[in-house]
Amino acid sequence: MIHFNNVSKTYPGGFLALKNVSFELAAGEMAFLTGHSGAGKSTLLKLMSLMEKPTSGKIQINGSEISNIKYKDIPYARRKIGMIFQNHNLLMDRTIFDNVALPLVIEGYSHKETRKRVEAALDKVHLSDKLRCFPNMLSGGEQQRVGIARALVNKPLILLADEPTGNLDPKLSLDIIRLFEEFNDFGVTVLIATHDLGLIARMKYRTLTLKQGSMITDGIVEGLQVRHENNE
Amino acid sequence: MNKSSRFGQPAQKLSFAAKITARLIRHVQQAVGSLGDLWRTPFTSIMTVLVLGISLTLPATLHLFVKNAKAISEQWDTASEISLFLKLSVTDKAAQNLVHRIELYPEVAKVTYISADKALEEFKTLSGFGQALEYLDKNPLPATLLVTPTTRASQTQAAGELLLKLEKEREVQQGKLDLEWLSRLEAIAKLIEDIVVGIGALLCLSVVLIIGNTIRLAILNQKDAIAVMKLVGATDSFIQRPFLYAGLWYGVLGGVVSCICVAILAKYLSGALSELTNLYQSNFTISGLSFVEAMTLILLAVILGLSGSYISVRKHIRAIEPTAD
Repeated sequence: MIHFNNVSKTYPGGFLALKNVSFELAAGEMAFLTGHSGAGKSTLLKLMSLMEKPTSGKIQINGSEISNIKYKDIPYARRKIGMIFQNHNLLMDRTIFDNVALPLVIEGYSHKETRKRVEAALDKVHLSDKLRCFPNMLSGGEQQRVGIARALVNKPLILLADEPTGNLDPKLSLDIIRLFEEFNDFGVTVLIATHDLGLIARMKYRTLTLKQGSMITDGIVEGLQVRHENNE
Repeated sequence: MNKSSRFGQPAQKLSFAAKITARLIRHVQQAVGSLGDLWRTPFTSIMTVLVLGISLTLPATLHLFVKNAKAISEQWDTASEISLFLKLSVTDKAAQNLVHRIELYPEVAKVTYISADKALEEFKTLSGFGQALEYLDKNPLPATLLVTPTTRASQTQAAGELLLKLEKEREVQQGKLDLEWLSRLEAIAKLIEDIVVGIGALLCLSVVLIIGNTIRLAILNQKDAIAVMKLVGATDSFIQRPFLYAGLWYGVLGGVVSCICVAILAKYLSGALSELTNLYQSNFTISGLSFVEAMTLILLAVILGLSGSYISVRKHIRAIEPTAD
């Protein structure tokens, strides 16, 4: 599903954010991406979500080469990737319904189909009663769940989450990860970038660890080992 | 899941009719939505519409002036009449002969003879000096021929040439064709016509820039929302459409404001103009914008609004990219 082959990314100014990173993520797999701040987690997600282009190397998603994708094709590619961020990226002047419906409106779904899918997505994240609310009327955890509902409403192939539990307490964090697991059960490939080592240790999923732009570990690791790697 | 669909390609499989219907509905929704956006920012919207409307009013009013000046010159042109004052020594019989001769001119439609006695009668009646004239020894007025040229010969230049020809008749003392002021009016109208084109072009450019800047500010105001839309797969054309419709609405409303301003100005000027035309025994009334002209003005405003917004969206929307921060 996702194939990174010797991918490097240097930002203007010369900062080397990723250095010859290679890995594969199979369809329907769920994994964590971890590392210190500045290790390259966000850059890796930006490359996958077509916000940045690699300086060298190749990235394939679902068999398609996206390293040199044309500008006009980027929106269509993004529709197959659900993205979740720590700051939720919700439109504060629109209702929860409108926020979640946005990807469907963009794709031109009928009003009836849009309503059906939005209600189903919000039901999945236990926010059915918040349809008419605005984001600022919800707690941080609820806003994050709205972000998840929006990312999944048009049934993407991949779900990328950048620090999705960053501002949440441990219980809410676990709830969010459980939600990702549920979607993963339906076949969605999930990659979660986080520096919450405790969470990683509890979940026992494959973990990709970045350090100064290089991939230093890749595999299911024990909690203490992960902690040890990251405290070096 | 859409596992079979390729990356970077539209995923939904819809029939042609369903695509057209969905697209049409989306256009209507976005057009109405952008009108709603203008409604939600009344101060900015009203200011922009007024600036646009007033900017278009100036060239439209100048156009109206040229149009009416032409109408005036045409009205007098076709009604132009040449007065030939005969020598005092010319007898009635000689004058009648001259009438017959002039009637044979191909440029002449009609000749009216006013004898010296009849002229005196008319003068007595119209001038109010009736009793004073009785004290004169002899009639001081000459016999007059009123020559009406054919339509073809009634244009300023042709009428002038006819006058020169008629003045060469030996019985004629003096001929008069009061068209000099019409020539001046025509020259002024021509000058204003050229000015209309120049000023109009500059004002149209300013309208494009005003709309472009208004849309630019609207885009920057919604920068975060645009970034989120791009993040969830919106194409540039989807994002830019409400802004293009905003330019269209600005054009429509600005065009309507301009039409209203021109109508008010025409009404205001008609009073002053009627005093002037009365001096020339004319019942000329100023004509405002016709329906076609008003529609053309609104269409021009719409084109300018769309152009301004198109330039702005092309430049600014592409520059906004989502960030992960």
